[in-house]
Amino acid sequence: MNDRSYTGGPPAGEWHLEDFRVGQRWTTVEREVTAADVADFARLSGDTHPLHVDEEYAASTRFGVPIAHGPLGVAVTMGLLHELHLVDTTIVALLGTTWRYLAPIRPGDRVHAELLITGVRRTREGSTGVVDRDLRLVGSDGTVVQEGQLPCLVRARGAGPDPAERAFGTTAWGELLARSLADDRAFASATATWDGAIGLHCGEQGVQLRIYRGTVLEVARRTPSGPTFALHASPRAWTELALGPTNDLIQRSGRGEFTMSGNAYEYLRLTKAVHLLVDAARALAGKDAA
Amino acid sequence: MSTTTSPARAVPTTTGYVELHGALAFVEIVGSGPTVLLLHTAGQSGVQWRRTTPDLVAAGYRVVVPDLPGHGRSEPHPDGPVDDLGTYAAWLLDLLDLLAVERFSVVGCSIGGKLTLDLACRASDRIDAAVAMAGVAQRPGLSEAGQRRELEDSASPSRADRTYLGTLASVGSALPEAEARLVATMHRREDPVVSTSDLVAWSRHDVTDRLDRLTCPLHLVAGREDYWVDTRLVEATAAAVPHARLTLLDGVGHYPMEEIPRFGETAARWLDDLTRQ
Repeated sequence: MNDRSYTGGPPAGEWHLEDFRVGQRWTTVEREVTAADVADFARLSGDTHPLHVDEEYAASTRFGVPIAHGPLGVAVTMGLLHELHLVDTTIVALLGTTWRYLAPIRPGDRVHAELLITGVRRTREGSTGVVDRDLRLVGSDGTVVQEGQLPCLVRARGAGPDPAERAFGTTAWGELLARSLADDRAFASATATWDGAIGLHCGEQGVQLRIYRGTVLEVARRTPSGPTFALHASPRAWTELALGPTNDLIQRSGRGEFTMSGNAYEYLRLTKAVHLLVDAARALAGKDAA
Repeated sequence: MSTTTSPARAVPTTTGYVELHGALAFVEIVGSGPTVLLLHTAGQSGVQWRRTTPDLVAAGYRVVVPDLPGHGRSEPHPDGPVDDLGTYAAWLLDLLDLLAVERFSVVGCSIGGKLTLDLACRASDRIDAAVAMAGVAQRPGLSEAGQRRELEDSASPSRADRTYLGTLASVGSALPEAEARLVATMHRREDPVVSTSDLVAWSRHDVTDRLDRLTCPLHLVAGREDYWVDTRLVEATAAAVPHARLTLLDGVGHYPMEEIPRFGETAARWLDDLTRQ
């Protein structure tokens, strides 16, 4: 069983849109990827490249031995996800597969998957919603061998409204953030001589806070002059920054998880304000305890 | 009244100022026994070792803690901010000559760690033990051009905030928050021009092609949570010096002497182990 199951959650297989929260994590059981699995996958897919099926050929490659097809790792991840029995009766469709192959899987390797929920948003029609599932396929030595996103469409129980405290980069989230910042005297002081807009981008979502002399004047997807500068990060990076033990924006920026565009001088000048903004986003995210 | 003692050029044996390379340098000297030189990080001063010194003295060392030119209580270098660690290394050897120190041990961190490696290449025959913390032989990932740009004020807004928050980002998770904030507050005392010049020096200094001259006992130390130093580079430096010891510290960042409680006892143990090699 998964080691971080949610007590008091819905019955197995019946997780609806409203049951998911950004930041939820599950670890699946472990399974072995066998030589027979690789042979079966070659037959099934028709990909009989010698890298996967010919020991002599594989010995001449950087891997030394035949390795599993990359997409076999995706398929194995799907199977491990199924074993969690979250959405058996509520899933409508798998929406996409964005994937990176980081290290080879060799026959005999044992792997498990780690699931992190990074987005939950209702579709316009209302009875379904998208759950963003960020996955890592991990070897028994802790190496992340594959990672990616497998968003899915699931049924909703009701018709909303939905919490926005962790809907990073959306206008609804930006409005909650602006409300928090309105009571933040340190933020008002840090931006007291400033006139501009800060863009906050999480994956494909983006919102701007238009700031004038310490006050957030407007929260909008677009502002007339555009953002003075904007912060960009993946849903995983935003989720970990907002819900992790400390505000580690600087470390994450150093690792390239957060990047900026626009006016670099103004971005540096607002170092303190940006940190206070992240503090506010972390406090906001903490208010939405599932 | 005749002067029979204390000529102006007497060897200083206590904390105070000495004239060196055309400027006054501040040097803290405490204890008696074999000399150990403690080297601070970029833009900082000997105050970083304030809690280390007493335990090293108790362990039987004479501790020498200079403020590098332009740092702490030392006057600026007459030629302006130093951007070459070789200049500091030569200055340090001249300082030791002035203090009539022939043999010594050295512990340094960050640019002080790299200086430790440089001294160990330059003067291995004078060094009993060298502990290089958060220092690598290679050029680190930091861009020299970026640091040179930073020297222009126009590219350096919010320097105090960035030093404060950057220091908080550089210490390890084992350090309690109140102490981390103290370290960050004290690091903010820097002269940004001097600090940034130090980082220029750090980014361009490479002693890899001199490591074959490093024959003295060496211990390389790095925090596993050091945001500035890639531990793979530390391991590569260790691999290039076959007799070197290597310690990676859990829960520690870029400043072991300001993060580890009773660091002086740890340092004394490391030095003792090296001299018994």
